[in-house]
Amino acid sequence: MKRIFSLILLLTLTALSARAKSALSGPPPSTAPVLNEQQRQADYTRRIDEVLDFAAAGAKFKTNDPAKLDLVTIGARLVRGEDYAHCSQRVIELMSKPGTGPFWMFPTVSAAYLGRGRLTPAALASIRAAWRTRQLRGDTENHWMMYYASLYLMSELYPNDPAESWYTGKSSAENLAEARAYLIHWTDLSTSMGQGEFNPTEYIGEYAIPLLFLASWAKDPAIKERAHLMLDWIFAELATNTLNGVLRGPNSRTTEGPVAERWNAMASSFSWMLFGNTPPTAGYGGWGLYFALVAKNYNVPEVIYRIATDRQADYLQRDRARTRRRWRYSDELSPLVYKTNYLRTDYAVGSTRGGMIDPIQSHVWDVTWAEADPRKKHNTLFSMHPHSSMVAMQSAFICYPEPMIKAVTMEGKPTYDSPDKILGSSPYEQVFQDLDTVIALYDIPAGERFPHINGFFSKDLVKVTESPSGWIFAQGGRAYLAYRPLAGYTWIKYSHFAGGWAKVGLDLGGRILTSPHLKNGTIVQAASASEFPSFAAFQAAINALPLQFSLEPVPTVNFTTLRGKKVTCTYGQTPTVDGSPLDYSKWKLFEGPHLNSEVGSRRLTITHGQLERVLDLNALTATDRVRTP
Amino acid sequence: MVIKNITGPLVGLLLCTLGVAAPTPKPAYDFYICANINRNYTIGAEILTMNGVFQRDAAGAWQHLGYNDMGVTAVAFDPRDHRVWYTSALNGLWRTLDGGKSWRMCNGWEMTEARDVAVDPNAPDNVYLALPDGVAVSSDRAQTLERRENGLPDRGKFTQAIKVDRTRAGRVFAGCELGIYLTDDAAAHWRRVLPTKEMVTDIQQSPHDPHVWLAVTQSAGAWRSTDGGVTWVNFPNVPTSRALYNVTFDVTQPLRYAIGSWAHGVLTSEDGGLTWQDRNQGLPAPHRVWRVGVDPTGLLYASVFGETLYVSKDFGRTWRADALPGTVVNNFLILPRRAN
Repeated sequence: MKRIFSLILLLTLTALSARAKSALSGPPPSTAPVLNEQQRQADYTRRIDEVLDFAAAGAKFKTNDPAKLDLVTIGARLVRGEDYAHCSQRVIELMSKPGTGPFWMFPTVSAAYLGRGRLTPAALASIRAAWRTRQLRGDTENHWMMYYASLYLMSELYPNDPAESWYTGKSSAENLAEARAYLIHWTDLSTSMGQGEFNPTEYIGEYAIPLLFLASWAKDPAIKERAHLMLDWIFAELATNTLNGVLRGPNSRTTEGPVAERWNAMASSFSWMLFGNTPPTAGYGGWGLYFALVAKNYNVPEVIYRIATDRQADYLQRDRARTRRRWRYSDELSPLVYKTNYLRTDYAVGSTRGGMIDPIQSHVWDVTWAEADPRKKHNTLFSMHPHSSMVAMQSAFICYPEPMIKAVTMEGKPTYDSPDKILGSSPYEQVFQDLDTVIALYDIPAGERFPHINGFFSKDLVKVTESPSGWIFAQGGRAYLAYRPLAGYTWIKYSHFAGGWAKVGLDLGGRILTSPHLKNGTIVQAASASEFPSFAAFQAAINALPLQFSLEPVPTVNFTTLRGKKVTCTYGQTPTVDGSPLDYSKWKLFEGPHLNSEVGSRRLTITHGQLERVLDLNALTATDRVRTP
Repeated sequence: MVIKNITGPLVGLLLCTLGVAAPTPKPAYDFYICANINRNYTIGAEILTMNGVFQRDAAGAWQHLGYNDMGVTAVAFDPRDHRVWYTSALNGLWRTLDGGKSWRMCNGWEMTEARDVAVDPNAPDNVYLALPDGVAVSSDRAQTLERRENGLPDRGKFTQAIKVDRTRAGRVFAGCELGIYLTDDAAAHWRRVLPTKEMVTDIQQSPHDPHVWLAVTQSAGAWRSTDGGVTWVNFPNVPTSRALYNVTFDVTQPLRYAIGSWAHGVLTSEDGGLTWQDRNQGLPAPHRVWRVGVDPTGLLYASVFGETLYVSKDFGRTWRADALPGTVVNNFLILPRRAN
C-alpha cells in the first residue's frame, strides 16, 4: 500500500513538474512527428493552454493588478471564464484612451467578441464607442490586413449602426462592404500572384491573427471559409520553409535579430504552437499571443503538420511572390519575386534572385543549418550588399528624400543606415541557386553609399579555415560549408542587434567578412557532413571543383557544383545550368513535392506522401484525399 | 446712414479726379496650417499630441479644428460654404459638412496616402485628390471618387501636388514624378507641360496675377510660368542639387517668393525671382525646412523639421520661434474669408 501511494505521489509530482516546466525555458521539444492524431491534438491543446496560462497571468507584465491588465490578458481571462468584473472595469479604462490604427483595432476586436456575454454592457459599449476615434489604416499589406479584418468584424458585430457612429463616417453596411472588398482582393492577389510580404519572420502574426479572428467570428460563411483557407495557405508555406520549426531562407521582411539568430522570431512561436517542433520565443511571440485566444478554433491539417515535421527526403521548392508596392522609380508596381528553397535534414539553402524586394527588411539568401537547440544560435551564412538610399525610401514610401533614412532607423529598423548591417536587399545584387549552391554577384556603382559587401560568419561556425585556394571552409552543426569570396576582404567584429527595437549592438561573437570591391561575388557550397569521411575530404572535394571567374567588365562565374551541375552566371544576364538558360517565366506560383499551384489559379495543392489537401479559393473549398501510392 | 453710404464712392471719385488711384480694398483672409506634432508616435499608439488642421485666430494663437489626425497633408475648403472642407491624409480623403464636427472617409481601399486636395472654385462640387498612384476626382463633393488619369503615364504618376486654376473651371495642374500635367476638362484629359525626371513637389498660383505660376521640384530646381502654366522657365539661380519642398507667394507683395528646402533651408526672392537669397540666419541649424508660408499680413513662416514654427517680420532676415514646438507643417493655406 505504501509503495502504491509512493508511486501515485511520484507520478503526481512528475506531472506537476512537467506542467510547471514552461516550454520557454525547458529543453527543446522533439522534432519527431506525432503520428497519432489524438495525441497530436492533445499536444496542440496543451501548448495553447500553456500560452493562455501565460497570458492570463499578466503576460509579459506578470501582473495580477487589475489596473495594469492589457487586452491580451483580458482576452485570456475571458476565454478561461475568469475575473469578468475586473476585465470589464479595465476595458472601460483602456477604451477611454483609444489607439489609432490596426495594432489597436484587432486587440479591441478580440475583447468585443470574447466579451460577449462576459463583459458588462458598459464595457462592451465602451469598445463600440471607442470606434468613433479616427483610425489610421497604415501603409503596408499587414497593416491593411489587420485594419480591414477588424473593421469587417466590428461592422458585422454592430450591423445596423449609422454612419455618424463610426470613425469612418460610413454606415455599418458601407464599412462591411469596403472591408469585404479588400479582404477578397488581398486573398485573390496573394493566391494568384503570390504574397507581397512573403515568408515574414515576425509579420506572420499580422496575417495569422486577423485571419483566425475572421475564421472564428465572421458571420458571412464565404468570408469565414476564405479566412480558414488562407490560414492553411500561410501555414503550409511556413511548414515548407522551416527547418525543425525554424523559418530560414529568404524573407520579404525580417528584423536584425532573426536574420542572424534564425530561431528568434515570432514564426518560431507559431511553429511551436502548430507543430511543436521548436521552442517558443520569449513571451510566446509577444502580441502573437492573440492567436492563442482563439487557436482552439483552428486545427492544422495533418498534411501541413507532416510537411513541417516528417521529412523523409530532401526537397526543392520553387515559388513566386511579389515585392512591396513601388510608388516611384520603377516601371512596375510590384515586380515578381522568384524563390528557391532546398531543404535537407542537416541544413537548408534558400534564395530569391536578389534585387530590391522590401527596401529595408528583406533577407535575400542563406544557408542555415539545423541545431539541436536553436536558441541563441546564429546558425546561418550569407553575404549581402548593405544598400541604403533615398531612392529606395521614396520608391516604397510616400516620403520626401531626406528625412526617411533617419526616420526608419528610429522606427524599428536600427541598422538600416549602417555600413556593417546584415539585413536588407540591394538593387546591385543578383543571386542564383541550384540545390545547395549559391552564387551571389554584385556590381555596385561608384558613389554608392556603402561600396562594399558583407559576409556573415557566425560565432557558431567551427573549423573556420581560410584556404590558400581562396575558399573559406567551415562547419555549422552537421553541415560542411564552403564560401568563396571573389575579391579581397578583411574581417570586422559582428555587432548583434537583438531585434528591430534594439538600441545597441551586442558583441556576442561572430565576424563580418567585408570586401570593399564594387565588382564582387560570393559562391557558397553546402553539404552534409555525413557525405564525407572527414572535413579534409570535403575541402579536397571543393578544391577540386572546376571554377573560373572574372570581375571585369562585370562579375562572371563558371562553376561546376558539388552536385555536378555546370553553372554560368554573369551579372546582368540569365544564368545557365548545363548550358540551358533558366526560364523564370515558366515558374509556377508553387512547384515542389509539397506545394503546387499554377499562376493565377487561386488553388493550392498541398502534398505529403499520400496525403493531399487542395485549397480552392475559387470554390471556397478544402478537399482532402489519400492518394493511391 | 445715407451720407455714410455715399462717402466712399465720392472719395474715390475725388481721388481719381486728382490723379490718385483709389485704394483697392484689401481682401480679408483666414490662415490655416496642416501640422503634425509627432513625438515618437508609431502606428497603433494613442495619439498624445494634437495634430491636423489649425487656424490662426485674431490673437495670433493656433486653434485646432476638426479631428486629431497624424497624417493630414493638405486642406481645401468649399468656397460657397467654409463649413465644408476636405483633408488629404494617410487614409485618403476626409470630408466634413459641418465645420469639422463630423467626418466621412470618402475613398475605399483602392486609394491611400493622399498627398494633396483641391476644390475647383468655379465648380465647387469638383474635388481633386493627389495620390501616390495618380489622380482621383469627385463631381459630387467627394460623395464618390473616380480615377481620371487619361494622359498621365502608366508609371511615374506619383502626384504630390494638385492645384486648380481659379480663373477657369476644370483647369487643373498635377505635380507628378515625371513632370507637371495640365487638364482643361476636369481631368478627362491630361497633357504634360513640364517634363521632369523626378518629383514635382509643389505648384502655386499667384494671388496677384492668375497667369503667374511657380513650381518647385526634387532635382530640377524652381520654375515659373507667366502664361497660365502652358510654358515654364527655370530660375537659374535656384539650386538643383537637392530637393525643394515647397514654394509660396506673398499675398501682400507680388514680387516676393519663398522656397522651403530640407537641404537649402529658406530661399527668398523679392524681385520676382531675378535674385535669390539664403535666409537661414536665425533658424536652428541644420535648416531642415519642411515648408514655408506667408500669412495674410506678409509674415513669413518656416516649419523647421522637429523644431518649431519660426516666423519672420522681414521676409527672412530675422527669425523668432513661434508656437507649436515639435511641429511639422505639411501645408499653409490662405483662404479668402467668408461670413460663415
